[in-house]
Amino acid sequence: MPTMDAVVITRKALAWFGLIATLVAPARLARADDGGPVAITHARVYLPNGRAPLDDATLVLAGGKVQAVGAAVRVPAGARVIDARGKVVTPGFIDADTALGIVDVELELQTSETDTRGPMVPALRAVDGYNPRSALVPIARTGGVTSVVVAPRTGVLAGQSAFVDLTGDSVPQSVVRPILAQVAHADEPAAQESAGTRSGMWLMLRTALEDARFYAAHQAQYDANGMRTLSLPRSSLEALLPMLRGEQPLVVTAHRASDIAVVLKLADDFKLRIVLVGASEAWLVADELARRQIPVVLDPLEDLPARFDRLHARADNATLLWKAGVPVILSTFSAHQVRLLWQRAGNAVREGMDHDDAIRAVTETPADAFHLTGYGRLEPGAVGNVVVWGGDPLQAGTRVEHVFVHGREETLETRQSLLLKRYRTVPARLDVR
Amino acid sequence: MRRPAFAFAHFSFALALALTFACEPARAPGPAPAAAPSGPAADAGGPAPSPFADAEARASETIPGADDEGLAPAVLVQHAVVLTATGQRFDPGYVLMENGRIAAVGTGDGPGAPGGTVVDAHGKVVTPGIIDPHSHIGVYPVPETSAHDDGNELTDPVTAGLRAEHSFWPQDPAIERAVAGGVTTIAVLPGSGNLVGGRGFTMHLMPKPGARAMRFPGAPSILKMACGENPKRVYGDMKRAPSTRMGSVRATRDAFVRAQRYVRDWDDWSNKHAHPPGAGETKADAGHDDKHDDKPPDRDLGLETLALALRGDALVEWHCYQADDMLAALQVAREFGFKVRAFHHALEAYKIRDVLAREGVGIATWDDWWGFKMEAYDGIPENLALFTEAGGRAALHSDSPIAIQILNQAAAKALAAGRAAGVKLDENDALRWLTANPAWVLGIDDQVGTLEAGKRADLVVWSEDPLSVYAHADLVYIDGKLIFDRAHPGAPWSDFELGSRP
Repeated sequence: MPTMDAVVITRKALAWFGLIATLVAPARLARADDGGPVAITHARVYLPNGRAPLDDATLVLAGGKVQAVGAAVRVPAGARVIDARGKVVTPGFIDADTALGIVDVELELQTSETDTRGPMVPALRAVDGYNPRSALVPIARTGGVTSVVVAPRTGVLAGQSAFVDLTGDSVPQSVVRPILAQVAHADEPAAQESAGTRSGMWLMLRTALEDARFYAAHQAQYDANGMRTLSLPRSSLEALLPMLRGEQPLVVTAHRASDIAVVLKLADDFKLRIVLVGASEAWLVADELARRQIPVVLDPLEDLPARFDRLHARADNATLLWKAGVPVILSTFSAHQVRLLWQRAGNAVREGMDHDDAIRAVTETPADAFHLTGYGRLEPGAVGNVVVWGGDPLQAGTRVEHVFVHGREETLETRQSLLLKRYRTVPARLDVR
Repeated sequence: MRRPAFAFAHFSFALALALTFACEPARAPGPAPAAAPSGPAADAGGPAPSPFADAEARASETIPGADDEGLAPAVLVQHAVVLTATGQRFDPGYVLMENGRIAAVGTGDGPGAPGGTVVDAHGKVVTPGIIDPHSHIGVYPVPETSAHDDGNELTDPVTAGLRAEHSFWPQDPAIERAVAGGVTTIAVLPGSGNLVGGRGFTMHLMPKPGARAMRFPGAPSILKMACGENPKRVYGDMKRAPSTRMGSVRATRDAFVRAQRYVRDWDDWSNKHAHPPGAGETKADAGHDDKHDDKPPDRDLGLETLALALRGDALVEWHCYQADDMLAALQVAREFGFKVRAFHHALEAYKIRDVLAREGVGIATWDDWWGFKMEAYDGIPENLALFTEAGGRAALHSDSPIAIQILNQAAAKALAAGRAAGVKLDENDALRWLTANPAWVLGIDDQVGTLEAGKRADLVVWSEDPLSVYAHADLVYIDGKLIFDRAHPGAPWSDFELGSRP
């Protein structure tokens, strides 16, 4: 955290200081202005832990946190009151797998932190490419998303994801967990782009994990240069240790049921905590995933046999997993369209998933899967990430009316809303003074 | 290479389509519709086989396998909310289908269905079938394989002589899923890697053994063109022309210069044959003509297609995103005297909506896609609404085998965005984005797109308001035949999916 000295050091030094703070401190840097107390009244509020939504409820935000939520909550003196009669309040949605802030225009590669030029880069940190001032961030917020996981997009051992709040204009203000999880891709394209074959890809991955385990047990010999050659450089091996110690999950993209089986074998052999991603054929092994309580992150719109590794894809994958008791998390896997997370949840409901559990699949469930204490639930002491919706959050005609991040209301103005404003009448009267 | 240099690990397929192939329309050969203007050669009816008559297409209208299954028995759908897409809402209402056509639509229980079936659609909503004017189903089928990567002939920037139907794989599993989303008609287009991609074709989504048998009867020919980033990226990467926007415009104009000459050559020859040598000519002159000029000009499949566009016998569907690119395209069209039917994608149409509406040029676009390339950076969710407000004809398209399954949700989102911006729109406007307007874009609005007596009986019975995210297409009819019944799924349409889908 900045000390009093920080106010007299240069801007450049401050930036460095902020970067260092990010790397060493897991806590987000609080903003000076977290907003005054806010009371949202008469709303339908979605509650955690399997409880039904509460109607005509009041939620109080202060000090960046949820202070109270319930039917008999008193509005504190001096609080700003938002009458949300007929409206709905949920925790801010969390998209568990995005490229938000690490890509501006996909086809302009210089704007994309998405090609790591190598399949084995476990030490890569997505947070180092994250731009909280990206034009995409406020656009994501207009869909009621207040936090996202920013994850590397390519590579077999792809690097480390970050967890960020969609607020602020500096990395320290927005980044909650600079290093959240190790990310791996083990689908058809990953195999093609790495070893060229599926079994070769698994060999690379297994060898890396074995080398990291060996390195951990023989660090003295490694330092004395008395060790056989390992498949990865030291920085990569080091980056894998928290995962091997069980402190970080391995977040693996795999689709074919047989590939999911290989993931489970790796989990057993290396005592890994797994989060499964993509998982088009996960429904075929739903019972096993439920027994192990492995969270599955998926897009319910991916119902096509788009590749040979997902020929059994189906639209009700989320529903079948949910019915089996698997923790289901819904994601856009996007950057520009993170704002459409509600639509993913709505389509899961369309295919049979329970409505309120679909909301949990973009709030509580991802928070639990990544051990994000205080996120994804509206209860006293929770992080003040709160959204007021005009109606059913998962319905197409519903608008987001208020977004609070850490108790502070964020603007819903975006580059797109500015374009609309400029061109609302034609011919546009351009203000170019 | 279908996979873009960058692809999200989990969304690579849809993105690959959007980024690399976002395309446009071109249409397969069909006889010119009665409403469309016919060129002089087509009208001449002389002894010579004019290439503009598109004889190949006409002959194929009667090939075995096409519409040879007889007419559907009568079906009465009653007790539903019926939305006609002409502004009428019958609640409760009915639709009577007979002989593949809509026989009657109205309020109440309806007249009965002698010899047919009655469907009690209480609590459900009936609309015209959705029409997607921009799809690559069948030419970029799933699963993604190099063997079926047939949508972009990236060997020459002008490939007007191609027809998407000759790449179409009828076993694409995406076909049945599109029907499950309430889609009954699509235009399958060549990709947008080329300035002139070739002809697309309009088709009914029915399980048939080949593209010809699926063609929408009587749909006009459509020509798919492209401007902007894609052609210059594809050919620039090969160190070939075009590598710039100015190179693209020049190559496009060059193509139409050649087409003009081709039309002139054929017109000269046809005129000669329609008017034999007159009395004023000497025998020697006539003999000279017989000897040297009787041979018709060589046919050129590409120029033949461009000539159709010049004569107004093919609808020009032009992939363009940016306002400046659309204006440049209109300039080319004006120079050569042809009309642009619609700009596809057209994410910046809202910036020049007054111009496009005045010129009578429609758009086919998404509800809220943006930013995946520079020319998509200024896309806004209010585009459809603003264009509609300005009096333009706006259609929703998918360009994606995933988006095509939820076009109804796209309409709902675009409606919500427009209303929030203060644009006065109602559910009929949203429905027309899905049905009547894409029908116009494809020149089949006299046959489908609204529920009116005499039109083809292409309709959807929705489980609830189709503008709800929770709505399913429960029943889908094409030409009065029930082709999809959500409650009674049969074996997969696609041979490919046997054994992998329950």
